[in-house]
Amino acid sequence: MKRYAAIVLAAVPAIALTLAIPFANRMEPSVGGAPFLLLWIVGWVVAAPICLFCISRLERRA
Amino acid sequence: MTSAFIALGIVAVVIIAAVTLGVIAARANLNSPTDFVVGGRSLGSVLLWLLMAGEIYTSFTFLGAAGYAYGLGAPAFYILCYGPVAYIIGYFLTPKIRSVGAAFGMITQPDIFRARYGSQALAGLAALVGFFFLIPYITLQLTGLQLLLSIAGYGFVEPYVAVAVAVALITGFVWATGLRGTAWASVLKDTLVLAAAIFAGIVLPLHAAGGWGGMLRAVTSSHPGWLTLSPGASPHGVAWFVTSVIVSAAGFFMWPPSTAAIFSSKSGDALRRNAMLLPLYSLLIVFVLFAGFAALLIMPGLKGTAGDQAFMLSIRQIYPAWLLGLVAAAGCLAALVPVSAQLLAAASIFAKNIAGDMLHAPSDDRSRTRLTRILVIVLALLAYGLWFALKVYLVDLLLYAYNGIVQFLPGTLLAFGWRRTTAWGVGSGIVAGIGVLIAANWLGALMHGMNPGIVALAVNFAVTIAVSTLTAPPPADVIDRFIAASND
Repeated sequence: MKRYAAIVLAAVPAIALTLAIPFANRMEPSVGGAPFLLLWIVGWVVAAPICLFCISRLERRA
Repeated sequence: MTSAFIALGIVAVVIIAAVTLGVIAARANLNSPTDFVVGGRSLGSVLLWLLMAGEIYTSFTFLGAAGYAYGLGAPAFYILCYGPVAYIIGYFLTPKIRSVGAAFGMITQPDIFRARYGSQALAGLAALVGFFFLIPYITLQLTGLQLLLSIAGYGFVEPYVAVAVAVALITGFVWATGLRGTAWASVLKDTLVLAAAIFAGIVLPLHAAGGWGGMLRAVTSSHPGWLTLSPGASPHGVAWFVTSVIVSAAGFFMWPPSTAAIFSSKSGDALRRNAMLLPLYSLLIVFVLFAGFAALLIMPGLKGTAGDQAFMLSIRQIYPAWLLGLVAAAGCLAALVPVSAQLLAAASIFAKNIAGDMLHAPSDDRSRTRLTRILVIVLALLAYGLWFALKVYLVDLLLYAYNGIVQFLPGTLLAFGWRRTTAWGVGSGIVAGIGVLIAANWLGALMHGMNPGIVALAVNFAVTIAVSTLTAPPPADVIDRFIAASND
């Protein structure tokens, strides 16, 4: 169970920043002039380390 | 002339300060190649963080990211994406590499192949390939250095001489301090780069359009479509973007200096902590991209590689010489600190895997360390000479280099993940992958807009697996020891 959770936590940000890019490649909705594409990328750049942190917590308890 | 004096004076003071800091703080005790090349395997989380950030964020990140934003627009976002993806891979892979490194006394990347696959020939092939692709990376940094020094010299200074002086200084620095010196010099480098990037990313947009929002809207209206990717297979389109992020992320930890940094770590946990913290450093690139977009509004019309200079030229146009000097100094350190790590990695590969293991040079610690030091100087001269002779082709060379270095990935991943992998499989995979890269020059139309590196990597994996199933694996006890060591 924990193993699967770790795999999902690693896979989701990796896919968000690679294979999901074609779907995020849009101008709208934009915030403060920034295109959605940039907001999507910056959001996942911040989320990726948080996912790794959660994995490290899971491993510690395992 | 006075401006040039002030700006270059600041650059000189900052570089000398970084070198002095490295020499004093490292207090190097360099009796063996392990001390010299991988810092005695004793770096804790903080020093490791400095070293890794110091190596990765180079003058190419600094000038190239702004240049891409200026010249191409949204394709520049790929530089933001690949770091975090690389660290997700690194979180799982790098502690294993560190463990086998410590267990088998490895100091270079080809040592991993030698221990796992028991083949001197495969380690030799990996050494030559790694070495071959590292040299263009070093020369590329020299181009960045030349660019920065000629802008900071306001056209009064001969850049070849200035670059030669800077390279001589950094070579002496590597000779004196080894890997620990690079880690400590990164303290000043990272601080200055961070400050310069944030400064440029805030003040240039303010000057150009009253802030980020105004700038982004101005870019959107003057360059429609600039902030999103072109669809599908068009040049620098979506297909190129996705495949380039994958190849760059996969190749990230395959660079020989990265392997040296992994081996230098005291523990696997230090590497895991770094994997969690370093992606946040990528946010710095957002500021650099914004500086590039602002330069598009301040100094439009620069073509091709001149776009790399746009943001520095904008700063020169608007701000006094001392500020230009500080930003240029940050850029110069962003070139020189990675060069020091790259020179050390290339020299250690040559000393250990080629001169030592293949040509049987004396193997005691003192003569090996001396040989590595001499090679640092030889390679610095070689890189400078090559740069002087061929600088025009460098950007092409770097693209090949990243696509080339990623060919180590199948042999490295499968070393830990698939017992059946053989030396013949890995060697054939590397040769096939590089063959595809060469062929891609003529098969461009068949790549559907993808980065050829991804096709080469897929062929490499397929060939590695196919040839491995047809050849005899290394003895079971060798593999058992390797796998057991990787789980420590």
